[in-house]
Amino acid sequence: MLEVRNLSVAYGGLRALTDVSLHVGEGQFVTVVGPNGAGKSTLFKTICGVVPPAQGSVAFQGQDLLRLPAAARAHLGIAHVPEGRQVFRTLTVLENLEMGAYTKAGQAQWHRTLDRIHALFPILHERAHQLAGTLSGGEQQMLAIGRGLASAPKLLMLDEPSMGLAPAIADTIFERVSQIHREDGLTILLVEQRVAEALELSDHGYVLETGHMVLDGPYETLLADDRVRRSYLGLTDA
Amino acid sequence: MRHGAGIRLRRDGIALAVIAIAYVAAASLVHNSYYQLIMTLVPIWAVFGVSWNILSGYGGQLSFGHASFFGAGAYTVTLALVYWGLTPWLGIPLGMLVGAGAAVLIGTPTFRLRGHYFALAMLAYPLAILYVLEYLGFQEMSLPMHSVHAAFYIQFKDPRFNTYLAVGLLVLGMVGAMLVENSRFGLALLAVRQNELAAEAAGIDSWRWKMRALVVSAIIAAAAGGLYACILLVVTPDSVFGLLVSAQAVVVTLFGGLASLWGPVIGAAILVPLAESLNAELGNILPGIQGVVYGAAIIIIMLAAPEGLFWTVRDRLFRRAVPPPPPMPASLPALARAAALPKGEPLLRVDGLSKTFGGLRAVSEVSFTVNPGEILGIIGPNGAGKTTLFNLLNGVLPADEGVATLAGQTMLGRKVHQVCRMGVGRTFQVVRSFPRLPLIDNVVVGAYGAGLPDHEALHSAVAALARVGLHSQAGTPAGQLTNKELRLMELARALAGRPRLLLLDETLAGLGRDECNEVLDVLARLREEGMTVAIIEHTMHAMLRLADRFVVLDHGRVLASGAPRDVVEDRSVIEAYLGKKWLARTVSPSPASAGEVR
Amino acid sequence: MDPHVLVENVLNALVAGVTIGCIYGLMCIGLGLIFGIMEIVNFAQGEFMMLGMFVSLYLVSVTGALAFLGPDLGPFVGALCAGPIVFAGGTLVYQFIVGRVSGMRTASIASDSRFGQLIVTLGISLILQNGGLLVFGSTPQTVRTPLAARAFLIDGFYGDDIVFINKARLIACVIAIVVAITLYLVMEYTRLGKAMRAAADNPTAATYMGIDVNRTYRLAFGIGSGITAIAGGLMATYLSFDPFIGFDYVVIMYSGVVLGGMGSIMGAFWGGLTVGFVQQCSALVLPPQLQNAAIFVVFLLIVLLRPQGLFGRSAERA
Repeated sequence: MLEVRNLSVAYGGLRALTDVSLHVGEGQFVTVVGPNGAGKSTLFKTICGVVPPAQGSVAFQGQDLLRLPAAARAHLGIAHVPEGRQVFRTLTVLENLEMGAYTKAGQAQWHRTLDRIHALFPILHERAHQLAGTLSGGEQQMLAIGRGLASAPKLLMLDEPSMGLAPAIADTIFERVSQIHREDGLTILLVEQRVAEALELSDHGYVLETGHMVLDGPYETLLADDRVRRSYLGLTDA
Repeated sequence: MRHGAGIRLRRDGIALAVIAIAYVAAASLVHNSYYQLIMTLVPIWAVFGVSWNILSGYGGQLSFGHASFFGAGAYTVTLALVYWGLTPWLGIPLGMLVGAGAAVLIGTPTFRLRGHYFALAMLAYPLAILYVLEYLGFQEMSLPMHSVHAAFYIQFKDPRFNTYLAVGLLVLGMVGAMLVENSRFGLALLAVRQNELAAEAAGIDSWRWKMRALVVSAIIAAAAGGLYACILLVVTPDSVFGLLVSAQAVVVTLFGGLASLWGPVIGAAILVPLAESLNAELGNILPGIQGVVYGAAIIIIMLAAPEGLFWTVRDRLFRRAVPPPPPMPASLPALARAAALPKGEPLLRVDGLSKTFGGLRAVSEVSFTVNPGEILGIIGPNGAGKTTLFNLLNGVLPADEGVATLAGQTMLGRKVHQVCRMGVGRTFQVVRSFPRLPLIDNVVVGAYGAGLPDHEALHSAVAALARVGLHSQAGTPAGQLTNKELRLMELARALAGRPRLLLLDETLAGLGRDECNEVLDVLARLREEGMTVAIIEHTMHAMLRLADRFVVLDHGRVLASGAPRDVVEDRSVIEAYLGKKWLARTVSPSPASAGEVR
Repeated sequence: MDPHVLVENVLNALVAGVTIGCIYGLMCIGLGLIFGIMEIVNFAQGEFMMLGMFVSLYLVSVTGALAFLGPDLGPFVGALCAGPIVFAGGTLVYQFIVGRVSGMRTASIASDSRFGQLIVTLGISLILQNGGLLVFGSTPQTVRTPLAARAFLIDGFYGDDIVFINKARLIACVIAIVVAITLYLVMEYTRLGKAMRAAADNPTAATYMGIDVNRTYRLAFGIGSGITAIAGGLMATYLSFDPFIGFDYVVIMYSGVVLGGMGSIMGAFWGGLTVGFVQQCSALVLPPQLQNAAIFVVFLLIVLLRPQGLFGRSAERA
């Protein structure tokens, strides 16, 4: 579904990504992990069109994404749940979700999608008319994910959903994401720093380190690899 | 004086002398009185631009109402001459005093505003004055002619003398600007402009410097206005207080080059003759052409070369001569100030510190100490209140409750720059540098802020650079530094102020493995020299290597404190910070992997 | 002074204050959209108002395009028609000039983007003012309707006191309220309005949603200009104006928006209403030249004492 080939990106004077390739098949749950500064967010920003690449290609369902302006990519069925949530603080929860459904697909399936979002995150139903800026970190993350779902996407991309959240709440978020994958069959691309949690949920994982893709494979392979364990499962932080 | 001031002053001084003499010579050859008038007006508008540049260019406080001061000068001279018969030779200095007074009156309330609010408020003043004057009936005033003793009243028969006088005023104004630019005044203004908070944290009293800039600016502007009145011999409220007058200063400086010495001169030299001749040639057929041209000039320059002609040309054509770095001192001055502490007493003591935002307890009864010469690591998940804690200690935010003392003296309730003067150096999560200025200037700000006199300040800055290992880069513009070098720069800036305590906020963020280790080495060396450090960080492994003790914050509270190994194994910390699953997963890690550092 | 006359003066001033205040309110909504929500500092907003007046003039008197409506209604329709025309102009101005120093392009150079907007819109203001002088000349104009000379009379207060409600101003006031309510409904309840608010709130996230932020800003800027132009056209029915009139109203508009509170359309309306009210009532005690000076003093006081205004959603931005 999503095909990234030989992507090289320079961002702020640094080589953020060098010759990165990855593949997300339909219905898969793919994770990209790596430490702080590995280039994970840059990868997402490039896919979504906010940062232009120096070289390489990004294709979604066969279509070359790099030719499209950033705002057009959502209409293809790519939903992006950004790093730091980035909810519309001065809009209400419901209005945030409505903005998520800005695309045609989102509008067509609005009522069904809204019910699903409320089922997954009941708190969003309770706080429908509250300003998004007044929600707690965890609630905002749920809103951001709900907003992504509202566009009835084919691919859901999540950028470090656990960042800044207390571990217990982050665990809940991961559970929900896993639930969405299992029950709705949605294709998911997840970027995370908390390796253990992320790898556990996914079908396939990529390890990004200082802009290079150093390792990839199914969950069991990665967990068995000493390099990953040494780097991440030892003395790591949240 | 700043590093490299000598070279710059010489270079600019010579250029100024040459240009002034050439201009005066050229003016002597012009006999057409209309062209002579234009030649007189160019330096007047140039010096008005120079005055505006001091506040709004160097200082970054964009003012749309400099006509207040220009008009004040003009009207003082006019009224003094009309009602008291006072010669403008005295009237202009009087106008400058009035201008200074106006600056204090206007600045005191208005500096509480920032950004576009400040600009709009400054706009309101000359307009209000304009309306009041019209109400009072001062529609149009002519300066009484004095044919006898004309020179005594600055009413020269030969208009060339007007030009000479105007050039003289410009030279004085430029010298003033040169002195400002090359002294700590200029650097303080630039620091405030870049990032007021960081400047305050480096010890700069931004309010005071902004006010000084406004007063100096107003004095020069008033002089320009006074001379303008003498030249034109007629003043109306609109001609000296109107929007077009304020716009003149803005346009001329912006076009020529904001925050540059020569910008206003270049802008005036190009735009004034252009506008005036357009006005003269086409003014009857196309009234208002001057305004249209100015408007178009501003738009074009903002879209094409937003920094103005001077910078754009210089960046494209000239390579800047980098002054050689100051010599490396043979031995570095002692780092830590003599500890006047009784043995065993902590340097920093925090007790019951609390801060609430709305309903959220951001910091809740936090207590800890930092002993002299130790490195305390403050860790905790995002949003735990670590930066808020620093902001309380630093004076950025007022605390609700609690006590914080440095060597027994209270830190709370003081302004940011005052806390800095007490001996607290601070770095921020996001590095703020002055990209065009060399590294040494970026660092010496910290020394100025601590109140060190010029010579010592430079020494201190050089020593700081040597300590962080950046001495060889002293002349490099900060805009060309890498992320790691910028972080070290911030550290050096804090060190230059000779602090007793360093508060470092995520100094290692965004650094790769090797760079991280380099910075850690620097910090370890500082500790060896006796510096006391409290550092917020996320990178656990680094902190384990460096910190003597940990304090763990979670949701604003202190969760645990003590030796790093103990804290890391504390169950409540693990749960709060690393998650229950991490506990479950790390089933007996092998000794090799546990101790291995990334 | 005879108490009856005093009361009559006060009542008339109150009525004038409310009717004119509503028109000011509409004028401020235009700026509220641009400055309050998108946080673009537009120095030329007064000139958009002036354009509205002249466009209405040209539609009604010069070209006689609306002559068929008769002299009574023509000027009001002219004011409404001026809206879309200035809207178009506003979008062009945004696309080629203001947009280059705003929005996502300069989101990274945060501290200087307002600077750029201020300067660039100052340039636009100069061009429009002086260009207006060139094109329209400096003779004061008006798009008066005969209704301006007629008034509703309400008596019965204190016996034989009479309160005059100028017909033209009343109609203008009603139109202003209707337009304001329409805009409010659009911003609050339509997809476009929400998209505008979202784009202003967080342009990056809005892009992820598929919203074309640049286009949205352009539309919002255009609408803001158009609304202020309509207000201008309405004012033209009872005022005389020249190309420099916009300047008098810039500070009034900013006062209204800041008083009402940034980020709030309704707030801008109430702010404008209040400022207009204060201005008209100050006519009771102050001579005309000082009325505007009084507004500046009010503006300074608001900005210094309560920068978040009455209804503001966000505090003063540094």
